[in-house]
Amino acid sequence: MKKTIGLVALLLAFLMVLSACAGGGNRQGSDSVKGDKIVFADIGWDSIKFHNAVAMLIAEEAFGYETEEVMGSTPITYTALLSGEIDVFMEMWGDNLEYYPDDLAAGKLKELGLNFGDNAQGLYVPRYVIEGDAERGIEPIAPDLKTVEDLKDYAHVFADPEEPSRGRIYGAISGWAIDTVMRKKYVAYGLDEMYNYVDPGSDAALAAAFASAYQRGEPIVGYYWEPTWLLGKYDLVLLEDRPYDPELFNEGLTACPSIDVTICVSNNFYDKNPEFVAFLEKYESSSAITSAALSYVQDTGEGFDEAAKWFLRENDALLDEWLTAEQAQAVRDALNG
Amino acid sequence: MPNWIASFPDTIKINIATPIDNFVEYINVNWRPFFDGIKTGLLGLLNGVYAVVEFIPWWLLIAIVFALTWLLMKKPLRAVLYAVLMLLIGILGLWSYMQLTLSIVIAAVLMAIIIGFPIGVLVSTSNHANALVRPILDTMQTMPSFVYLIPAVMLLGIGNVPAIIATTIYAIPPVIRMTNHGIRHVDKEVVEAAQSFGSTRWQTLVKVQIPQAMPTIMAGLNQTIMMALSMVVTCSLIGARGLGHEVVIGINRLEIGRGFTAGLCVVILAVIIDRLTQGIYKTEAGDDHGKG
Repeated sequence: MKKTIGLVALLLAFLMVLSACAGGGNRQGSDSVKGDKIVFADIGWDSIKFHNAVAMLIAEEAFGYETEEVMGSTPITYTALLSGEIDVFMEMWGDNLEYYPDDLAAGKLKELGLNFGDNAQGLYVPRYVIEGDAERGIEPIAPDLKTVEDLKDYAHVFADPEEPSRGRIYGAISGWAIDTVMRKKYVAYGLDEMYNYVDPGSDAALAAAFASAYQRGEPIVGYYWEPTWLLGKYDLVLLEDRPYDPELFNEGLTACPSIDVTICVSNNFYDKNPEFVAFLEKYESSSAITSAALSYVQDTGEGFDEAAKWFLRENDALLDEWLTAEQAQAVRDALNG
Repeated sequence: MPNWIASFPDTIKINIATPIDNFVEYINVNWRPFFDGIKTGLLGLLNGVYAVVEFIPWWLLIAIVFALTWLLMKKPLRAVLYAVLMLLIGILGLWSYMQLTLSIVIAAVLMAIIIGFPIGVLVSTSNHANALVRPILDTMQTMPSFVYLIPAVMLLGIGNVPAIIATTIYAIPPVIRMTNHGIRHVDKEVVEAAQSFGSTRWQTLVKVQIPQAMPTIMAGLNQTIMMALSMVVTCSLIGARGLGHEVVIGINRLEIGRGFTAGLCVVILAVIIDRLTQGIYKTEAGDDHGKG
């Protein structure tokens, strides 16, 4: 018996040594890096994961950094950015964060310019609510619904399951600055007379509510924003509103402006990594690019790393714009190798 | 060097995520009446509980806490302390939030008892049932709660109803476990005595085993209430209102004070409910000793 145990132990030890060697062979040749690591914020939504993947690829291949993504909610990653534990925020939805302008003015972090700006947010309904969907056998329930104000006539369509005599509007996530505006809009248009404004609690729950309604072919109206995978996957229509006006907007009376989504870094990182900061300052995409990348992920089932490679191969000219000739070549070699 | 020794072989890969997605989508589309029924039922339950809780004026509730503490624990000073703590919830401006949170907890705990207690009794009488239920309970207790929060939203929508379901799932295991445990550990001689006097199986269960197991069952109930209270806060991430909602708003806006204020009220509520329910089952245990 003892002999057997000894033999098994020996065999196991041998296998472990073997796998250690094999593992060593597997590891990517990362000895050449300077040893610096850039920490990116991953706030969970898909677009930031894509932009992280692109920036990480370039940080590794062109600059020789190590990279890491740290996952957390907006307030947590934001606090970590201020304290310098997170270095880079690829998507700062500054206009949506009440505390951001003050912190920026106080010099607690550095903004490096636009990532993308042509986005949209507001109240969305599935297209089949307005136009119907012959394929799925859905009749148009609210054919004349075009604007936010029209919602007044359709409270019965969007009935609140917890209070069926009133309609339900899925609001923005409480704590986002847009939530304050949406609540004002809800009162300003008199929707509070026949609708409940329901706080979804988290963006995951809001997405689940839209997805569930869409699968069932049920009407739903609520706040959402794009570019997001949800808007890529499901056909939702943004309800029209009065044209944007900065003064009236905060009273909830106009459509939302597109938000300047910027790239931010911590003060410490800004001071110590001027070259990478210069690259991030040049980095700019668009909502269209982001949506295309998210669709690529959704359609192919590939990871964001692959989407980043695909994107840079498709938009080769960007490399010359963003990087020195030498760095661009290093990235190209990595993409093709 | 063979790769499969160092790292898990790529060839052995099963994707269970897609079938689960499809399954949830399938029941979401096809079992609608079923979930609508659950929704209506739970909403009725919650509204009923809330109506009662809301009907009790603030001073009466504080008086009830005061009187119960005194009666159950025989400690007047502690009774004053708990009354002051309850008062503090009102002073912090969170009384109505507390009422809603309490209602959701009560509704979820009622569901847990209605479902959990019979299962616990059943499991205590059958080893087969026990072997079947135990791994399920283990799964329910260790599965990260966010995993089933989102399907709860898919199937039941956003708001207080899915919160009750999620809270019930999270908080039911102690009721089942402790009911089972309590009944199984009733003194064999007591059970034999009952049987030798001609009790039927049902009579033995209802008149001897369950009363004898009551302290253990109540201890389970106490755990269930505590777990429900903690889960109700998490459920604010799927739109449950009340104290947890305040916590979430506080976090989202980086208003640390606001989060803490609401958090403090959850703590007060938890401590008082915990001590009171403990008081109840300890008194019962004590009485049993007196009779025995």
